[in-house]
Amino acid sequence: MKRRYGRTVEIALFILPFAAFWILFRLGPVLYGFFISLYRWDPLGDAKFIGARNYLNLARDPRFWNALVNTLEFAAIAIPLIVGIGLVLALFIFAGRKRRVTTWLEAGFFFPYLLTVSVVGLIWRWLLDPDFGVVLITLRDMGISPPVFLNEPRWAIPAIALATAWWLAGYRMLLFRAALEDIPDEFYEAARIDGASGPRIFFSIVVPLLRPAILFALVLTTISGFIVFGQVLIMTAGGPGRASEVLAMYLYRFGFEYLEMGQAAAVGMVLFLIILGLTMVSFRWLGYESSL
Amino acid sequence: MTASKLGSRLLVAVVAALALLWVAPIAWMFTTGIKPAPEIFALPPTWIPQRPTLDHVREVLSRWPFLRWALNSVVVAGATTVLSVLVSVPAAYAFSRLRWRGRDAIFLVFLSSMLIPLEVNVIPLYFLMNRLHLLNTYPAVFLPMIGMPIGIFLLRQFYINIPGELDDAARVDGCGNLRILWHVILPLSRPALAALVIYMFTFAWNEFFWSMIALSSPQMFTLPIGLRALQGAYDIDYGVLMAGAALAVLPTLMLFLFLRGSIIRGITMTAHK
Amino acid sequence: MGWREELEHSTPVSRRTFLKTTAAAAAVAAVGSARIPSVMAQERVTTLDYYTLFHSGDAAAMERIVRLFNTENRAVKLNLLQGQWAEYYAQLFAAVGSGNAPHVGICHSSRVMDVYRALTPLEESRAGNLLDAAGIRAPQYTKSVWDAGVFEGKRYLVPLDTHMFGMWYNKDLFRRAGLDPDKPPESREDFERAADAIKTRTGQFAFHPAEDALPRKLRRAWEYLFWGGGGSLLTPDGKRAAFNDERGLRALDYLVGMIHRRGWNAPGTDGFKQFAAGQLGMLIAGNWYFPTAKAAGVNFGFHYVPKFFEKPTTWGDSHNLVIPRQRPERASDDVLVAAAKAIKWINERSSIWGIYGGHIPAFLPAQRAKDLQESETWQIALSKFAYMANQGWLHYPLVHPLAPRVHAAVEPHIQEAYNGRLTPKDALTRAEAEVNRVLIG
Repeated sequence: MKRRYGRTVEIALFILPFAAFWILFRLGPVLYGFFISLYRWDPLGDAKFIGARNYLNLARDPRFWNALVNTLEFAAIAIPLIVGIGLVLALFIFAGRKRRVTTWLEAGFFFPYLLTVSVVGLIWRWLLDPDFGVVLITLRDMGISPPVFLNEPRWAIPAIALATAWWLAGYRMLLFRAALEDIPDEFYEAARIDGASGPRIFFSIVVPLLRPAILFALVLTTISGFIVFGQVLIMTAGGPGRASEVLAMYLYRFGFEYLEMGQAAAVGMVLFLIILGLTMVSFRWLGYESSL
Repeated sequence: MTASKLGSRLLVAVVAALALLWVAPIAWMFTTGIKPAPEIFALPPTWIPQRPTLDHVREVLSRWPFLRWALNSVVVAGATTVLSVLVSVPAAYAFSRLRWRGRDAIFLVFLSSMLIPLEVNVIPLYFLMNRLHLLNTYPAVFLPMIGMPIGIFLLRQFYINIPGELDDAARVDGCGNLRILWHVILPLSRPALAALVIYMFTFAWNEFFWSMIALSSPQMFTLPIGLRALQGAYDIDYGVLMAGAALAVLPTLMLFLFLRGSIIRGITMTAHK
Repeated sequence: MGWREELEHSTPVSRRTFLKTTAAAAAVAAVGSARIPSVMAQERVTTLDYYTLFHSGDAAAMERIVRLFNTENRAVKLNLLQGQWAEYYAQLFAAVGSGNAPHVGICHSSRVMDVYRALTPLEESRAGNLLDAAGIRAPQYTKSVWDAGVFEGKRYLVPLDTHMFGMWYNKDLFRRAGLDPDKPPESREDFERAADAIKTRTGQFAFHPAEDALPRKLRRAWEYLFWGGGGSLLTPDGKRAAFNDERGLRALDYLVGMIHRRGWNAPGTDGFKQFAAGQLGMLIAGNWYFPTAKAAGVNFGFHYVPKFFEKPTTWGDSHNLVIPRQRPERASDDVLVAAAKAIKWINERSSIWGIYGGHIPAFLPAQRAKDLQESETWQIALSKFAYMANQGWLHYPLVHPLAPRVHAAVEPHIQEAYNGRLTPKDALTRAEAEVNRVLIG
């Protein structure tokens, strides 16, 4: 009996340090954030309980819906770009895996992932500068008259999504390449002996076997799409007008520019619920049991 | 030469061209950073600086606490990494090598929060750190990054696959769990630890939204936040901005060139499911 | 050199200035460190936290003043923390709310209505009348700025400066356009003639109305045109938008017409950059532009804003020194008095603020100080800024508890009109609807 008790204490001690951080800085803030979102928050401390008013304000604010639509638009463009480019690059790298130069090419595709978001934003802002950006100049030289991407409502979000794909696709590439390597060689050989063509091998063997990896990439990318912030702040600051104001930026502005902490916390809760929902759905898709 | 061999060469050439295009923005950042102002805006653009200058670099280093930002980034990323590993290792051990009631249920609770990003919590974290009088300090930035379930998840995946006979043998020799963890599991899980270290370090090194809110004085900025301040001050002076960005990238680039293999292996491990 | 400042009133210093500052700092540090032990042994040192929202050139100028303070004062030291502009007020509130407030801070005149709650009423603090205790006296300050420092009968602000927009013009382009570089336009007719002449005769950009293309700058451009016609953003009770009328429309239509009908510039461009590159004839920009214009090597002149409509009007605001609300356990009565005295001291040295920060000191003896009056900053630009201020041409931005949100509600629509994506009428109608929503919410 005493031994069992000691064992329980031991297990608790093993878990406690992690659990303490998790409770204090992960779970706690979510609950605290919900509490904050029910108040009209005076930064000097006199909070007033207003129930769901902050949420109703969000529902009535066209600016919030605009931010939500912009976020969805960003996600809808960035996710296929990131996952698609990542997959294509992985196939390239996988196909050339027997050559030494390939590891260098892979490193080149991957490196942007290691840049901080400020650097990515600054580089692309410079590349897309209306007057002197090398992208626009090159396009003009090719006889195309390009839109002034970052000052055009229709183009701001696609341009940011493109920069984001450049930044993150390399990480997805590694993920897919690893998954491709997990497919036993016999599968390919068997298919080849059966006389299957390249595309058929791809669609009937590679795609089904990569399904979990692709789904996982979709989930992660979707979530990072919902909280996009840094590259928007640096490339357009939400402009022109509000054409690229996304949810995280809406949250930031209400919290730290208009001092409406309650309403900002409500946006945080909305984001939390969206992402929690996505997590649950993805667990079902991916089968979390497999990881237990 | 066979057709397939030719095809394979062609493929490599195409991919190499694509890779060059891929890193071109980074090269462009470096060259802009050392071009004098008129050349930055010259038409047509010059790929190789005609008259390279270190003026912009000097401007960044002399007018801004740039080295301090780098130091702050190292402190924040270092503390996040070390503390994450310290708390994740024993927890992952308890979740994988020990059997106890409720284990999987509790793990699932942690796991379900794995994908919840820091960003959704910035308002409550701001309130919390303000109450703790920690705003504008290192702990304000790194404390929230420590209890990330990815750490236990990664290590646990690895620990599960270590054969049970090893600790059985150790147990027969009279070893307790701590000694088994230290003498058996840790030495075997170096690749997983390396992966976790790389993951946490890059994560903390790049963290932007929360750091921007938590840090208010330029002396405390990390590199990403400092670069944003640079943008605030120079905005379209791309020479200075690119010099600052290049300076921030340089250590990463050096490290990457030296440790390319292990970084890619480590990241691949975290990506592995 | 930076051409565009995110933070409102910052001026990049030249490298030489910086080196001088650094050298001075090193010298100060050397002298200071030699003295400290003996001081420490004798008296207790009070350290006051001083938070600002300055950065870049402004921050350097304020650092200079604080360094002087710390060498000249033994018993009181200032611990300077210069913050980010966008989050400054949020951080100030947070610090006051958590009992961690700085002892001295900065507040814009236009923000008194929402920030006053975080501030100490200076004449009726728990330590008594701090103005009297520190010897801060109204007649020594620019009257209009001093008068703006009161809310609901209580004084919260001690003025530091005034800053505003004026007109920078390129003398070489004036000459090439056949204009007299010593006679910049003052009336609307002269201004339009000059702009057209620059456009047709030099082929360069004629005019930029507001520094760069940031939404809040474009809003300011529209505002000074609108105010010049006697308009006001909200109704007098502050409950509804009041700008969607002929005056608002006339101002916006004129602003949009500059770009789209008269072709004096293009949407999305940066006037700072154009002017510094010698490609822009006339630029409306703040006093903080002086060091940059100088460093760019452009042969420039400076003049008042033209009289576009009924009354010459420019956008402007003031920085003030404040004592954020203190809890007794953090700041004794003596500390409050020390903070008030530090404010007085900073004002007494604010000619430095004029010379290096490019602002007009509100403390009259500092404004009239010889070093400032003889500086190039004053002779070329600040004298004219001071004239505009004294003539009452300066118009503060909206003073309202929800001012930041009202501005944010107006800006994107003004920007879209400026970019040619909305008609001025539609832009104002949308802005009006959004402002009213903010005011009701």
